[in-house]
Amino acid sequence: MRRNLLAAAAAAFGVAGAALASPAVAEVRVFACEPEWAALAEAVGGGGVVVHSATHGGQDAHHVRARPSLIARVRRADVLFCSGAELESGWLPVLMQRGARHEVQPGQPGHIMAADHVPILDRPETIDRSLGDIHPSGNPHVHLDPRNVATLASELSRRLEHIDPDNAEAYRARLASFQAGWAEALRRWSDRVARLQGMKVVVYHEAWAYFLHWAGLTRVASLEALPGIPPSAAHLQSVLEQARGTGAEVILRAPYEPRDASSWLSARTGIPVVELPYTVGGHPEATDLVSLFDVTLTLLEEVRNRS
Amino acid sequence: MRPVARNVLLFVIAMPVLLLLIAPPAGGQSKTEPTAAELAEQIQALKREYEARIGALEAQISTMEAQAQDAVPESEGSPQAARPASDNAFNPAIGVVLNGMVSAYSADEFEIHGFPTGHESERAAEGLSLGHSEIAMSSNIDDKFLGNLTLGLGVHPGEPTELELEEAYIQTLPGAGLPEGMRIKAGRALWTFGYLNEQHAHGDDFADRPLPYRAFLDNAYNDDGAEVSLVLDTDLYSEVGFGAFRGDDLPFAGSASGRGAWSAFARLGGDFGRNSAWRIGGYVLGGEVNNRGGGHGHGDEEAGGHAHEAGEHEEDGHEEDGHEEDEHEEDGHEEDEHEAENHHDEEHHDEHGHAELFSEGLFSGDTRLYGIDFRATWAPTGNARDREVTLQGEYFWRKEWGTYELAPEGDEEHGLMEDFDLTTPGWYLQGVYKFHPRLRIGARYSRLIAPPEMELERDPTAISAMLDWTNSEFSRIRLQFNRESLAEDGHDDQIMLQYIMSLGAHPAHTF
Repeated sequence: MRRNLLAAAAAAFGVAGAALASPAVAEVRVFACEPEWAALAEAVGGGGVVVHSATHGGQDAHHVRARPSLIARVRRADVLFCSGAELESGWLPVLMQRGARHEVQPGQPGHIMAADHVPILDRPETIDRSLGDIHPSGNPHVHLDPRNVATLASELSRRLEHIDPDNAEAYRARLASFQAGWAEALRRWSDRVARLQGMKVVVYHEAWAYFLHWAGLTRVASLEALPGIPPSAAHLQSVLEQARGTGAEVILRAPYEPRDASSWLSARTGIPVVELPYTVGGHPEATDLVSLFDVTLTLLEEVRNRS
Repeated sequence: MRPVARNVLLFVIAMPVLLLLIAPPAGGQSKTEPTAAELAEQIQALKREYEARIGALEAQISTMEAQAQDAVPESEGSPQAARPASDNAFNPAIGVVLNGMVSAYSADEFEIHGFPTGHESERAAEGLSLGHSEIAMSSNIDDKFLGNLTLGLGVHPGEPTELELEEAYIQTLPGAGLPEGMRIKAGRALWTFGYLNEQHAHGDDFADRPLPYRAFLDNAYNDDGAEVSLVLDTDLYSEVGFGAFRGDDLPFAGSASGRGAWSAFARLGGDFGRNSAWRIGGYVLGGEVNNRGGGHGHGDEEAGGHAHEAGEHEEDGHEEDGHEEDEHEEDGHEEDEHEAENHHDEEHHDEHGHAELFSEGLFSGDTRLYGIDFRATWAPTGNARDREVTLQGEYFWRKEWGTYELAPEGDEEHGLMEDFDLTTPGWYLQGVYKFHPRLRIGARYSRLIAPPEMELERDPTAISAMLDWTNSEFSRIRLQFNRESLAEDGHDDQIMLQYIMSLGAHPAHTF
């Protein structure tokens, strides 16, 4: 018996030792929970970082399985870059506990939660499960306000300079060029946004809060009665009345959101549904952060021009 | 001169804050006494300077106001805002699982022939019954450790509610300073073995556990012990680990040394493309067994377990020969049980051959349980919440060396099987399809392969089909149908309607 135990231990550590002996790579490994943060990390980190995104543009980051491959990725990460505000609370804690190194744990330079660095919308006053799957820290979909992206770019660069001081100069240079391009894009977008001011929209989930706030759009109804809980027939009926009564112009949908409710409402009201990219990769043309906002605005302008 | 001095005083009183903030230090004044004209000149200069500064400040404020209108209002709260700190801010996360069912069975007999099973893996009481309720508390202890306590409340009709300590463990956190990827867990826990063992039953896809879990582990192995595991620094997910345990929970029993069992495991996992994932594993759990008997799980020596077993035998006696009811009712000592078994044996020993010995006898020796498992998931859009297919299977085989003894020596029913070497495999395969965000269907087949030594007419098998409705990740209602063929002949057709709800803190789901 005792010999078996020792043999098992020896075997386990033998395999472990062989794996640990593999040579270390000099690049900073970034584990991004969502594609928007992966895109930002690539823009700011450039060749100094290797970025892996836990989710893709067609996925809802609320509900991701803590897959074995993600444990392996987190295990090797030097930087963890996520939205925070409980967006990833269904799966990230499992990865963190199981695989993550000390360097990416909360409070460490390698731990970046976007929601910790920008003003937060929709922070609930009361918290109860009967209110649905709410985020006690507020709305986590912060990347859809481009000003937040600029803030996070600076924060990321600061962290990368700290973690990888040898390349600090390069990170600062890349940040400067990113910020210059972003400021230019912001000027361009603010002209386009001015023409969309006051556009009335119906949403599915409150994923668009930051975008609507920045672009000055008005949300008149939400297809989801409670966050995370599919709409009931009674609720859809009331949304139908609201949409008609307020003269909603468009129904917004993210690529991962269910189609049935928005199609139902569109069929009954004639209000067009537009599927916005939501994140990088959510639309074939939304290949980076700049094109994410370009495509989003173009799609909305098309709706405006049609009506 | 006087009016000028008063003017100065008034000025000082009118602008105290500005003077305090912006006035040059008093020591900076000229050393010689200034004349009145000079003073007036200086005051006028100061006045002009303040006006200019105030103008600049006003301009600054108006631009800030303009920016503030543009920015998100601060009143909505920012994460930097202080949170009210109270004592319960550090309370552990508490979660409760509530579970109830209504079930109907076509057969009275439900023991797995040839395989003694424990209390936990028996089918639920017929009719309306409360299933297993659970209270779990967990929290980070400090920067290095995490703790968890899970209490199970088992209700069996006609008996006092049983409180079972399902888990009570501590676990190291990444800040504990262990080598990267290493974790140590100690206490009582649902240890790493196969796919289902680590998981609480309320997370299962079916209302009951498949046959290999019921026969070999009494649903789950949660002995007292410790486990070390290591996630390796590889591109592919790989993990290895080993454990040492007391050896008092099925498949072990009666640990004499308090360190009678050990385990080792290895797992690999990864993705197929963007929307599917897989994991495979190999496991071994071995140890000593002293007098492991039928119907014994945790709490072998406890009165609760015995009372229940005595009750069962009482039923046997009643049906088969109406034997001495009073004596059984009075107390449930080991002798009584053997007596009941003897009577049972008298009638069936010949036709069942060795099966009786395996079912009812006491086993002592060494046992080693090997297992391999796999799980693959595929979500067509990457969103498991909308649509997903999962396929899962496990194959266990148990090797045992030792002695089976039926009734003590000297008893006329004494039966003994010595120096045997028995390998008993069992497996299951299941598929679950989520075809709607709230609905899933699933099917499962499980089988135990009886070795020839058991002389069973047929292998115990069970087929299950289920349909469940999930309102949110906290509530689920399930309808399940089972056809179990566990006895020598006939089937037990079972139908179950179950609810599983969790409130409070809800542990995140693993793969």
